[in-house]
Amino acid sequence: MNNDKSNIEWQSVVAIVNDDGKFKGVGLRKQGGSFEILWTRRSEDPDVGWREFAAECGLSVERSMLEDFESDRMVVVGFSTAGTIFHRTSVPAVGDKEIESIVGLQAETRLPLSPEQIELTWRADKLDDGQLGVTMAVARKEQLQKFVDNVRCFQPTKLLLSCEGIVKIWEALFSGNKENAIVLSAGTHNTQVCLVEKGRLSNAVVLDMGIEDFSTTAVEEQTETTERFAQDMRSVLDLFGCADQEQLPVFVLSDGSATYVSIVSSLRLAGLNARVASPELEGIMARSELSNEDIYRYRTPIGLALLALDADYNELNIFKNLYNPVQKVIKKHWVYSSTASFAIACIMLVLLVVVSYSVDIAGPNSIEKRIEETISDVDMNQLVKRQQLIRTVARERPDLLDLLKLVNESGQKGITLTGLNFKKGQPVSITGQASSNDQLSRFEKNLQKTKGIEKVNYTANTNVKSKKITFTMTFLYKNFSNKTTRARI
Amino acid sequence: MIDKLSEKDIRALKFGAVGAALILLFVFGSAGHERWTKAKASGAVLKSKLDVINVDKAKQAGLMSIVPVFEMPQIEEEQKFLFRDKLSEQLRKAGIKSKPLQVQAGRKSPQSGYKLLLVKCSATCKFTQVLDFLARLNENPYLVGIEELKIKCDPKKRGEVELDFTASTFAEQEK
Repeated sequence: MNNDKSNIEWQSVVAIVNDDGKFKGVGLRKQGGSFEILWTRRSEDPDVGWREFAAECGLSVERSMLEDFESDRMVVVGFSTAGTIFHRTSVPAVGDKEIESIVGLQAETRLPLSPEQIELTWRADKLDDGQLGVTMAVARKEQLQKFVDNVRCFQPTKLLLSCEGIVKIWEALFSGNKENAIVLSAGTHNTQVCLVEKGRLSNAVVLDMGIEDFSTTAVEEQTETTERFAQDMRSVLDLFGCADQEQLPVFVLSDGSATYVSIVSSLRLAGLNARVASPELEGIMARSELSNEDIYRYRTPIGLALLALDADYNELNIFKNLYNPVQKVIKKHWVYSSTASFAIACIMLVLLVVVSYSVDIAGPNSIEKRIEETISDVDMNQLVKRQQLIRTVARERPDLLDLLKLVNESGQKGITLTGLNFKKGQPVSITGQASSNDQLSRFEKNLQKTKGIEKVNYTANTNVKSKKITFTMTFLYKNFSNKTTRARI
Repeated sequence: MIDKLSEKDIRALKFGAVGAALILLFVFGSAGHERWTKAKASGAVLKSKLDVINVDKAKQAGLMSIVPVFEMPQIEEEQKFLFRDKLSEQLRKAGIKSKPLQVQAGRKSPQSGYKLLLVKCSATCKFTQVLDFLARLNENPYLVGIEELKIKCDPKKRGEVELDFTASTFAEQEK
């Protein structure tokens, strides 16, 4: 089953087929809801191959020239289904993997070839009464590979079965409005017979009789041809499982000439519900005027082109394991482009460098310059030194007036101080006389409570004669009594 | 012309372009990096200088209350005279008649690049004169601090004290 659906909206398509031994190509463009045939081309030269004809159609046949994959143009190639076997079966409503297994087993039982020698594809219909109708197509891998090798040079976007193109053009331009029908596309030497079920191809065979066989003037020969053709058609209907459906319409695609009327007549004589289907050009435009004959002549490539532009169509892709087309480069808005992102990133990087230069390099330099200009004659380093020295001096300078004040405020009436000794790095000591131990004790406590004074100790001696107590009191004053201060001196 | 170049040639050109870009990046990048490193170091020095100078108002007021005046230290020979003269003047203003001031050899300084000089003073004076002297001492622009202060009262001679003090100053170290 082909599930390689692309979301890419193609605008134009080139379709090429080898039909009746002749290469035919068309260019078709989609414009809104209508289609325009841009050009048609065919080659009857027996020396021309796929490569040469693709080049004639304006396609790039060199690997390095990839412009087709970057444009909105799709290239499709039709594969003649002469060697392809179709089969229709029903499976229960199961998943794709299970269907794949069932279809694979059925193909193995019906073909005298090993799985390695064949390529298989399938397509499931919509669920109907709990059953899924499945159309499968099988072909020899060798034959398909040969075809792929022939067309690979111009890197087609899709490889399609030609008979699907015939069904498509019948629906689009030959008033094919029936859900179930037989469609006959008669070529010069052969006739493609397609069974259409639920609007899609479900079986196809190729008969080795064509228009040339019906064009003979001899009456006897003509009678023999029509009889043989009618018999072949009955066999085909039998093969398709439609032998008992007498009312199943049989559409013979026609360019409007009498030959096709005779084909229809012969089929009617054989009891088939045959009718002529002529082109109706309402749904399609063309740059140059196209006749019914032209439409008929290019029916297969036009059908394939229309099929390729139908994004919803789920074609039978028998080449899925053999050919992987180069994906079209999807044009995105420049904002999403990695190049644009890279360029923006580079610009941002440059901006970052400029800003960081301004802030980190130009900034300090200009500040220093401005400071130098402002300070003028005064050396900035001198200012720094001066400020550092002032700070050091402030740390080193004790307020001895404050110390004397603190000692004086802590003293009690009756206490007489006789000396004070301050030396950096040593406890401050004061000497004096007191009238009682209570006074001395209160003096010590008051000092202890004073901010900046710590670890107050004293020793006292009582004079027997005068009853006065002489004392020596020591304490630590701020950070000046610490030994570290002394060490710095 | 570019159409004639093979894929190999184009690849070689791309490698060449990338190589050239890398060389340019290296050359200008290394020069820029060096400049950036210097500028960054210069910026750091500048910032530290500004931090030292740019003290907030409250801190500056605190510093000014302790060190209201300050003169940058001179070399030892000049500084010791300046300091001694200013100290003598302050003693005289306080009415203290001191013995000759003695300049002592400097000890280890708390500030690198500067010596610490000590000036020792001994006098007999009134206690009120001592207080007056201590109150004016901060006006000496060469003073660093008082290293030692001894006040001794003679109980028999009320109001008279023996004063010994050592003050310090900075002197610029000769290079």
